[in-house]
Amino acid sequence: MQALTISPNSRAQAGTDMRKAPPLLEIQGLSVRLGGRTILDRLDATVSGRIVGLLGPNGAGKTTLVRTLLGFLKPSSGNAHVLGHSLATDRRTVCSLIGYMPEDDAHINGMSAVRFVRMMGELSGLPRDAALERTHDALTFVGMGENRYRKVGSYSTGMKQMVKLAQALVHGPRLLLLDEPTNGLDPAARHRMLELIQDIGHEGRTGVLLSSHLLGDVEAVCDEVIILKAGRLAGRCDLASEHESARIFVDLETLPPSPQFGGTLARLGCKVEERGDGRFRVELPSHLDVRSIFAAAADDGLALRRFERTRDSLQDIFLRAMEDDRGRS
Amino acid sequence: MVVRDRGWNPWEGPVTATSRRFLVLTRYALKDVFESRVFLAFYILCLLPSAAAALAIYFSHNTQFLEQFGGLDSWFAKAPDWIFLHLFGWQAMPAFLVAVIATPPLIAADIGNNALQVILARPIGRRDYVLGKTAVIFLLLSPITWIPGLLTFILQALLAGGQWTGENLRIAVAFFVGHIVWIVVVTMLCLAVSAWIRLATFSRGALLAIFIISAVVGRLVNGVTHSSIGDLLHLSRAIESVVLRFFGATPPSALPSPANWLTLVVVVLGALWVLNLRLRAVQEIK
Repeated sequence: MQALTISPNSRAQAGTDMRKAPPLLEIQGLSVRLGGRTILDRLDATVSGRIVGLLGPNGAGKTTLVRTLLGFLKPSSGNAHVLGHSLATDRRTVCSLIGYMPEDDAHINGMSAVRFVRMMGELSGLPRDAALERTHDALTFVGMGENRYRKVGSYSTGMKQMVKLAQALVHGPRLLLLDEPTNGLDPAARHRMLELIQDIGHEGRTGVLLSSHLLGDVEAVCDEVIILKAGRLAGRCDLASEHESARIFVDLETLPPSPQFGGTLARLGCKVEERGDGRFRVELPSHLDVRSIFAAAADDGLALRRFERTRDSLQDIFLRAMEDDRGRS
Repeated sequence: MVVRDRGWNPWEGPVTATSRRFLVLTRYALKDVFESRVFLAFYILCLLPSAAAALAIYFSHNTQFLEQFGGLDSWFAKAPDWIFLHLFGWQAMPAFLVAVIATPPLIAADIGNNALQVILARPIGRRDYVLGKTAVIFLLLSPITWIPGLLTFILQALLAGGQWTGENLRIAVAFFVGHIVWIVVVTMLCLAVSAWIRLATFSRGALLAIFIISAVVGRLVNGVTHSSIGDLLHLSRAIESVVLRFFGATPPSALPSPANWLTLVVVVLGALWVLNLRLRAVQEIK
C-alpha cells in the first residue's frame, strides 16, 4: 500500500488559507469492486493542491474514483474525506462541497441553460434569487452570451461542455471534479476550457481534480498529478516543481549502439535511463560540461548520433510510472 | 472581475433546508407541465364533474328551483346520494388522463440525457428525487380529485345540516382515502413507466396498455378457470373494488378485500423495484 502526499505549490497565490484547512481530499484504503473486479485497490492519497490531474490509462479507475467520491458507488472498504467530511457518514455535506462535471452529456431536454443551471443551484441549497444571480455569473464566466436562453439540447458540443462546467460551479464548490472536460472540443474550445480551469484553480478558493487521459491537457493546467494504474497509485508528480527546477536532460544515441556507455555516463555523475538500442536519457549534474560526454564517447570508440537537450515531459513521467508499476507487479 | 469572482467562489449565504429541497424538483416539473396551454385547458375541464356535482347539490336544496322544474324534483331530491356514489369515477377518469399526458417526461427527461448524474451529485438522495417527482403527480391530481370532492361534501353538509353530515361522514372519509389509494397506485405506475421508457408517446401507450392488458388477461383467466381468480390481475377492478368498499357499496370483484389489496400492493412494489433499478446516477455492472 502506497501513500501519496501532494502539497500546495508555489503557484497557488490564493492558497494560503487552504494550507490551514483540512486537505481537500483524503483517501484512505479505498477499494471499489464492480462486476466481480477490483477497480480501485486500497488507494491512499491526500490532495491539498490547487489543480490536480488524475491520470491513468483507460480502465485505471479514474472515473470510478470520481464517482465514488460523489457517492454513486459504494466502496467495499476504506473511506474518503472531502475537507474533513467523511463520505461514509456525511455524504450530503460532501456533495454540497463538490461540483461535478461528468464526461458525457448531462442536460435536460427542453430546458434553457439558465433554467438548468439555476435548478442545479437550487438543488445544492441556494435560495431562488441567489441561484438566479449566480447562474448568470457562472454562465458569464464560462462565456455563454445570449445563447443561455436557448434550449441546451440545441447547443454544440462545446457549448454543452460550458453549461456542464457552469452547473458544476454555480453553488461555489470547494472541490471541482472534472471528468474529461475537453472531450469532443475543437482546439479553440479546448484552449478556452483549459484557460477557465486555470482561472478557477489559481484565482479562487476552489480546488480542481481533473481526470483525463490527455497528457497535454493535464500538463497545460495542473500543478500536481496523481497517476493511477489498475486501481492503484502508480505514481505522483509535482509538475510545478518539475517546471521550475533547473534540471537538464539530454537524449542521446550512440553509434554503434552500446549499452555499456550508460556505465561511462554514470561514472561522470549522470543519472542515466537506458532506453535500448544505444539510446539514453541522461540527467546532467550541474557541474558537468557537456563536452566531457563527447570526450567519453570518443574514448569508448563511439560516435554520438543524436544529442538533444530536453526536459522531463509528463509523458515521460507517466510512462515511467507505468514501467515502475509493471516492475513492482 | 467582480462578476467572475462571484460566479464560482463558495457561497457564504444561507442555504435552504435539506428536508424541503425535493420541492425544487416538484416546482420545476410543475412549471414545465403547465407551460402547455392545451394541457392547462384540459386540466380546467377536469374540474367540470366536480363543478357539476356542486351545482346539482345546490339545486337539490333550492326549493324554488325544484318547484319551478317539477319533473326534476325527485331526481334532484335524491341527487346527493347518487352524486357522491358516482363523482369518484367521474373525477378519476379525467384525472388518469391528466397523469397519462403529463407524467411520462418526468423521469425520462432526466434519464434520457444523463442529467440524473448531475442531479444526484447534489446534496439530495434518490429518495428525495422520487419524493419530488411523486409530489408532482400528487399536486397535479389532488386539485381535480379529492379536494373538490371534499369541498362538494362540505357544500352538501352545509346545506343538509348536521344530522346528514353525522350520518354520512363515511362519504368524506371514503372520498379522501379512496382517492389517496388511487393516486398512490397511479403515481407509482406513472413514475415506473417514465423511468423505464424514454419516449413519452410510448410511455403514454404503456400506461394505457397496463390497464387494458391487465383487464383482458384478468377476464380471460376468469373465463378459463370459471372463477374470480383473474381479478388478481385485473388492476382497474382491484382499484374499483377497494374504493367501493370504502363507500360501503358492492364491489365488482368477487374476491375478498385482502386479495384486491394484494394486487395494488404488488403493483406498487413492482413500480418501486423498477425505480430502484433505473434511478441510479450510474448503472453498476453486477
